[in-house]
Amino acid sequence: MREPPGGSSGDAPAFETVARLRGRLGQYLSGAVGRTVSVERVTKFPAGFSWITCEVSLSGFPGVNEAILRVGPPYGLFAPYSAMPEFESLSALAASEVPAPRVYHASDDPAILGAPFFLSEKVEGDTPLPWGSQGQTIQGARRESLAADFISALAALHRFDWRATPLAKWGEGVTHENAALKQVDDWEARFRRWALRPHPMAHRALQWLRGNAPVAERLSLVHGDYRLGNFLEREGRISAILDWELVHLGDPIEDLGWAFLPQYRGGTPLVCGLASETDFLSRYEAQAGRPVGPASLRFYRVFSLLKLAFTHMAAARCFENGLFHDLRMPAMATQISPVFRQIGRALDEAA
Amino acid sequence: MNNSLPRLIDGMVATLRKEVIPRIEGEYARGQAFGIIYMLNNLKLRCSWSNAFLMEQLKALEGVSRDLAPLAPDLAGAPLPDIHAPAALPEVGTLEAMRDAGDGRVCDLIDWLAANRARLPAEAAASVESIVDAYLARQAKYEISTSAKPMFVEMSGGAEKT
Repeated sequence: MREPPGGSSGDAPAFETVARLRGRLGQYLSGAVGRTVSVERVTKFPAGFSWITCEVSLSGFPGVNEAILRVGPPYGLFAPYSAMPEFESLSALAASEVPAPRVYHASDDPAILGAPFFLSEKVEGDTPLPWGSQGQTIQGARRESLAADFISALAALHRFDWRATPLAKWGEGVTHENAALKQVDDWEARFRRWALRPHPMAHRALQWLRGNAPVAERLSLVHGDYRLGNFLEREGRISAILDWELVHLGDPIEDLGWAFLPQYRGGTPLVCGLASETDFLSRYEAQAGRPVGPASLRFYRVFSLLKLAFTHMAAARCFENGLFHDLRMPAMATQISPVFRQIGRALDEAA
Repeated sequence: MNNSLPRLIDGMVATLRKEVIPRIEGEYARGQAFGIIYMLNNLKLRCSWSNAFLMEQLKALEGVSRDLAPLAPDLAGAPLPDIHAPAALPEVGTLEAMRDAGDGRVCDLIDWLAANRARLPAEAAASVESIVDAYLARQAKYEISTSAKPMFVEMSGGAEKT
């Protein structure tokens, strides 16, 4: 059994047990809002490899009966976690044009639930997945509507004036010149932590990225995992962009490189199964107010493929360490070589 | 084991599909069962009964051959076994360590080339890169050719892809 951080010796962390989770969360929220709050019900969502997501029913919490609790477990894909990047960015974005859940409270103190967590608005909607519901693609007017929202939300995020918010502190040390290389450094450090064996293709790609890093035209809030599967849809419209755990400041083209990955096309030639690359770029450029340089996009496509390969390595590592028994993890790990082959082709095309 | 490993896996997969999964309650649990099928299909493409398992059987055969040999003069025409086990076969762990050491060396070469490229003859650097790229392509191609068809739709939805 995992040692509970902050729990009493021998007990599972509070977030692992519904009764203790309800008690601890209610106690914390009561203290936070200055009145008695009780957690009536907790329902865990089965999806996800990283943060645990639960729907919680609240009583006594001002103006909110249903909310979403996100907990970053010590055995999650990208652990160790902090709730603060997601909480701070979503707090800052509350007044923006980006459709995102409102956030209420957050803490990294393991004494409360045994892991970092935050509480946010429950936004209504379903999540279309990259591999499609039963392999079906998004069609017609629904596709057009979702494409419009998807592109508009991304442009709004990249236009967002983070300097006028508390996120300004994130800008320390990030420049137009080093934004790309900082991300390469961050992901290389993760690669060194996660890889179970030497991967020459990862070295080949890292060296290429270091030799071809672009200067960012703009420094923006970057979602970090902007794609089909990370938004909620309600009646053909995007009701919220989700999963902000990789949010950071950087070159906005990074989000395009990730969204353009073939893995998120839902079996279609379209970006995230929604719009052609040409259409996506022209609409994005018009709304973001800046052109997308081909060299930058090429760089971030290769970078995104490498990030994806590293994420698959994280899955392999989690499973190998015995922290997770979810068979989707080793299944993800089988995709390292197909991604490496795509990187090889991308480097050939760039030569 | 008296059945071949591929047939054994095919049988397990068929049983899971036809008899087990339709009776499992819950999308997540069914998805995990499809995950078992997917991983079994991958094992089928890469695994066989281990060298150590077969070697032990060969050594036993070598023993019976050796024990029977002195009786041969009295057993004219008898089909006596004459089996000799190979002296040694590399353990899988040894081969894996050799592969990892080799790949580690290729990683070092790639990093060294990037750090020293400016002082190297351009043609030599380009040739090294081309040879390394061909190696990477060959390894990726082999790995993919020995991987099962992905089943992410089934694993996420807990139902057969339609």
